[in-house]
Amino acid sequence: MDISASDFLGFLNLNWQVVSMLAIGGFLIYLGTAKNVEPVILIPIGTGIMLANIPLGGMVDEGGLFAVLKEAGIQTELFPLLIFIGIGAMIDFGPFLERPYTILLGAVAQFGIFGTFFLAYLLGDGWLHIMDFSLKDAASIGIIGSADGPTSIYVSSVFQSKYAAAIVVAAYSYMALVPIIQPPIMRWLTTKRERRVEMPIKTDAVSRRTKIIFPIATVLIVCLIAPKATPLIGCLMFGNVLRECGVVERLSATAQNELTNVVTILLGLTVGGMMIASQFLKPETIIIFVMGIIAFALDTAAGVIFGKIMYILSGRKINPLIGAAGISAFPMSARVVQKMGLQENPHNHLLMHAVGTNTAGQIASVVAGGAMLMLIPLFS
Amino acid sequence: MLDALWIVLLGMAMIFAVLGILLGMMILLNKLIKPEKED
Repeated sequence: MDISASDFLGFLNLNWQVVSMLAIGGFLIYLGTAKNVEPVILIPIGTGIMLANIPLGGMVDEGGLFAVLKEAGIQTELFPLLIFIGIGAMIDFGPFLERPYTILLGAVAQFGIFGTFFLAYLLGDGWLHIMDFSLKDAASIGIIGSADGPTSIYVSSVFQSKYAAAIVVAAYSYMALVPIIQPPIMRWLTTKRERRVEMPIKTDAVSRRTKIIFPIATVLIVCLIAPKATPLIGCLMFGNVLRECGVVERLSATAQNELTNVVTILLGLTVGGMMIASQFLKPETIIIFVMGIIAFALDTAAGVIFGKIMYILSGRKINPLIGAAGISAFPMSARVVQKMGLQENPHNHLLMHAVGTNTAGQIASVVAGGAMLMLIPLFS
Repeated sequence: MLDALWIVLLGMAMIFAVLGILLGMMILLNKLIKPEKED
């Protein structure tokens, strides 16, 4: 028999790429546990990376656990959609419904998606050909700007982007880094006077019936105009109906807890399992991470600039900082806005306004994902 | 490159169109349905 030790001893198959991936996996687990950076998703992803890259481990081979999970949960787009049901059940659209104008800030803050898509496409097939980015890859990279993990996974898997794993890790990592990325841009684009603007905490309350009608009407409006967004917005709003209807508390609690937790474990492991050394350690991965920061920065800048326009149009009654919460990184960006508002003026409580903008950004990012899914095939 | 520019323009236009209609709907809902006492 012609058998060598390297056929069954994993450590004999170690090379610098494999060691790098094991280190990356370990680093993500460290970030999650020691630094509390998105631990719920980064610990499963880090573990998935390590297990997938163990030489001869077989986790990603045909029939292996990660291969099965990828086929069942990512290629079918099942996992991100199930997560969306959980997110919908967790979101209270009340602060948003009380301040309908915040929807405009959420809309503008999606510019990062399209701006980054444009840049990625210019670097790739669109003009410079420096990177191996097709139109679909560029759209998947742009969607990092949705600041929403499940939307990133959904769009990149529908487009079958070869960079899906890097895109998802970038999206989740930068969501955790929102408190570092946003404040300098917010400070740079606003004056002290603008940041000190006080906004009233109390607004007109909305009725329970409005809260129930809203998700149903949103599904009808969004899906009839942008049908490709139906799976995303449909699942999000289904979760919200469970929450708001008040008669299925058990289902709502299950969607918020057990369903989300189980799918998060499976999703995290699967995404980590997609990060194989040979596919991940490429110059394109670094560029995708750079593009991710650009996407978040453009989102923030667009939101704050539009906030400044609203500040002027409202007779200096709207604090432009709340525009930064149009990025749908919920609830981190709302907290960032609240913190900066309080730093400038101890009586300034912007949280509920920022939460309203934040949930508007959540809906807007899903619509943006649907727009991408609809437009890209038309131009491919 | 022109294609990408069209996607950017159409994408943002679509977001504003959809969310603009949602805004109208929310304003209408808030006007038509007032909170009840138990709310």
